Amino acid sequence: MATREPETGWHGENSDVNHLRGRAFEATCLAATAFGLVSVLLLLLFVANDAFRPFSADAGWLATYAATVVVPLAALAVYYYRLDEPAGEVAYVTSGLPVVGLLLTGGFAVLFIELLSVLEWFALLISLVVAGGLIVAHGRLRPKAALERLAVVFLSPVITMFGLPPTRFNWFVTDTAAALGLDFGLYYRVISLREAILMLPFVPTDWVMLLLTLVLPIAGAAGWFVEKRRESRRDGLAVVGMTTVVAVLGLVAGPLLGIGTEVWLLLVTFAALPLGVYVEGVIRRSEGVRGLAFPVVAVLGVAAGAVATSALGFAGPNPWLDWGFLTSATSRTAADAGIYPAMVGSVMMIIVIVLTTFPVGVGAAIYLEEYAPSQGLMGKFVTLIEINIGNLAGVPSVVYGLLGLALFIRVLQWPQGSIIVAGLAVGLLILPIVIISAQEAIRSVPDSFRQASYGMGATRWQTIRQVVLPEALPGILTGTILALGRAIGETAPLLMIGAAASVRLAPNSFFDVASMMPRQIFSWSSELDPAFRHGVLAAGVITLLAVLLVMNATAIVIRNRYQRTG
Amino acid sequence: MSTETPGPDITSRPTGRAARERMYRYVLLLCAAASILVTVSIVVLLARDAITFFTLVNPVDFFTGTEFLISRNVYGLLPLLSGTLLVTVISAVIALPTGVAAAIYLSEYASDQMRSVLKPGLEILAGIPTVVYGIFALVYVTPFLQTIGLPVNTFNILSASIMVGIMIIPMVSSLSEDAMSSVPDSLRQAGYGMGATKFEVTTGVVVPAAASGIFSSFILALSRAIGETMIVVVAAGSRPRMLNLSDPLANLFQGYQPMTAAMVQINSADSVSQLGFTSLFAIGLTLFVITFLLNLLSNRIAARYREEYE
Repeated sequence: MATREPETGWHGENSDVNHLRGRAFEATCLAATAFGLVSVLLLLLFVANDAFRPFSADAGWLATYAATVVVPLAALAVYYYRLDEPAGEVAYVTSGLPVVGLLLTGGFAVLFIELLSVLEWFALLISLVVAGGLIVAHGRLRPKAALERLAVVFLSPVITMFGLPPTRFNWFVTDTAAALGLDFGLYYRVISLREAILMLPFVPTDWVMLLLTLVLPIAGAAGWFVEKRRESRRDGLAVVGMTTVVAVLGLVAGPLLGIGTEVWLLLVTFAALPLGVYVEGVIRRSEGVRGLAFPVVAVLGVAAGAVATSALGFAGPNPWLDWGFLTSATSRTAADAGIYPAMVGSVMMIIVIVLTTFPVGVGAAIYLEEYAPSQGLMGKFVTLIEINIGNLAGVPSVVYGLLGLALFIRVLQWPQGSIIVAGLAVGLLILPIVIISAQEAIRSVPDSFRQASYGMGATRWQTIRQVVLPEALPGILTGTILALGRAIGETAPLLMIGAAASVRLAPNSFFDVASMMPRQIFSWSSELDPAFRHGVLAAGVITLLAVLLVMNATAIVIRNRYQRTG
Repeated sequence: MSTETPGPDITSRPTGRAARERMYRYVLLLCAAASILVTVSIVVLLARDAITFFTLVNPVDFFTGTEFLISRNVYGLLPLLSGTLLVTVISAVIALPTGVAAAIYLSEYASDQMRSVLKPGLEILAGIPTVVYGIFALVYVTPFLQTIGLPVNTFNILSASIMVGIMIIPMVSSLSEDAMSSVPDSLRQAGYGMGATKFEVTTGVVVPAAASGIFSSFILALSRAIGETMIVVVAAGSRPRMLNLSDPLANLFQGYQPMTAAMVQINSADSVSQLGFTSLFAIGLTLFVITFLLNLLSNRIAARYREEYE
């Protein structure tokens, strides 16, 4: 600023300062911030309009639902926002939990329909539990034998899951048995526990196996969580007991509702159990109880709307995105086209990514934050790793696709376009993102926690496992869910590794050629027929975005709930 | 721990525990080193086929050729580079000023409430899958441009670039905002103490002080635009074309094929000669080198500004 002659005093006094310029600048900046948001919002409205076609409904239908659902919910939302913020949070979570639960239920239902039977799941889980039991038992019996433990840790899951490879020993056993007139069927290898269970002459019915291997463990985990939070064993047991009772009720209720006992069990586990625990907590704390009105009003409003429209004879809209779209395969005619096989492909790809990328990414983050030396040759190497991770995060996705093509298909000769190749290629793509977000989460654990643990005599690994990881877990989960959201939407790597443009049958093995949601959407985008371009395509986009929205909202809720303050 | 009753486990089994501790350390180190392995395998595997390609096609011809036609075995990179250049320039024209202005607003002007709405909003822009942006461009933006009277083709570089621009706004704005918020408050106070207005402090003090951070965000955003694939595959067409320097405006309304789109097309074509297929890796390696260098440069610049103020 130029200095002025002192006698004029503060130079703002005689309105030398021009406010207009500053105001205009501020408004321009605000407009720039809003530009991207508003244009994408408009485009989303266009897509949603194409997907749902709300204006194909009678005006009376729209008016009825506006009166029974939209107006009451909007009024409630305004009330929460203005007067009762904790209730708003409760409303948000109680409406969101069932949605996430339904999504998980759908995911597991797809898994059991397409990928493995309930019996295979049962056998898999029992074998894993036995393997875990072996490891624990070995630790108890021979606590000092560290190297032996290493062998047990690696071998016992392999043996229970896959059996032993062919050796002279097997042939010897088989030949001896044959000489004695017995036939074990052991010509090639020792059979694994998993396969033994699959061969059992009698197996429990599907719902018993699901109850034992899915409902009870998750209910147990929830019960343990409640027990720890409230320091009351009774409450924890109550959670387990209630869940089991409600699950068993499904024997009657499932068929009555026409959804089958198995789906009932999944619904109880993934939707009813978390919702029940949360609602009970809200009522007990009596904090934001009014928020519970939101989902109740929503359900009642939809029911009232349904009754009213059918009584008055109003026709509903004819959306592209409907149940048929979600449950059928793609087709040449737009009216029959659906996204189901591609959704199964995406779910299976996510399984591959979670099993491979998540452990490696979190492991790398732990090393870089907790172990990495800052000096010497190793220190240089670690700096190199850090810089490299930063750079990998900026490598274009199409190059990862090329890497997948070169490495998995051309060098390792895995089947082109298979789910495992897609999952690994996209997994490599999100690996740097997972590492960076896990590093941030681990870094945010205060050092005093670690010092306290060391002071108690814990080793570094004990400190990490018992103190650092539990504290950092919400942050790691948030980052991972966001990264998985990125993975679901990635298309370019799928094109490079040759994922199928469209498949009619859902894949049922990880080595099957499959299509994934964005790949399917891309192949619809080259259809010229307007029914595809403005109908099926829009429905696909909305489905993909809805999945992403639910995932991101979950991540944000976890972040807000567990965010370290200060 | 009290001195009279030493814990029984502290010294009794040191060997097993030490071995296990070492094992965890090495397993975790392996995880961290995996990222190096990824980079190495990208370079090695891409270079392997690229070298095969360059033994059959003169690199000079490749990098200076003005025609790209696989069916006639003509491989010139310049048409593909033209497409990439156009997308990068147009999207930069949209995203860089908008992103910086948004960063200024979020860092200097926005109230806490505004920021709590706008920042997650911008994050959402970055989270939308690129194939969706491509569909926006093809199905909604191009017809819109046609209705307002621009002579655009069905596949054109303009609507694709507009969408690329919108996609990279959050990258510019969030990194620039970080740079602006890390400018120490004392600098602002000094500006106010001199009698400067908020506008003058913002444009005269904060932005210049954050310049290196802003610049680094620009480079990162450009690198992202260069590597963007799905938007241009869906909306920019599949014809490699040289820039028409005599009529610059006409360039905007035509379809082009940037490098990334060419890679996708070569890979998904039904019958491609062996040489044509290896050209994929030559283009991929070029793309990788360009983006890798840009990212490295951006990190360097960003590291420098962090040193200045922290």
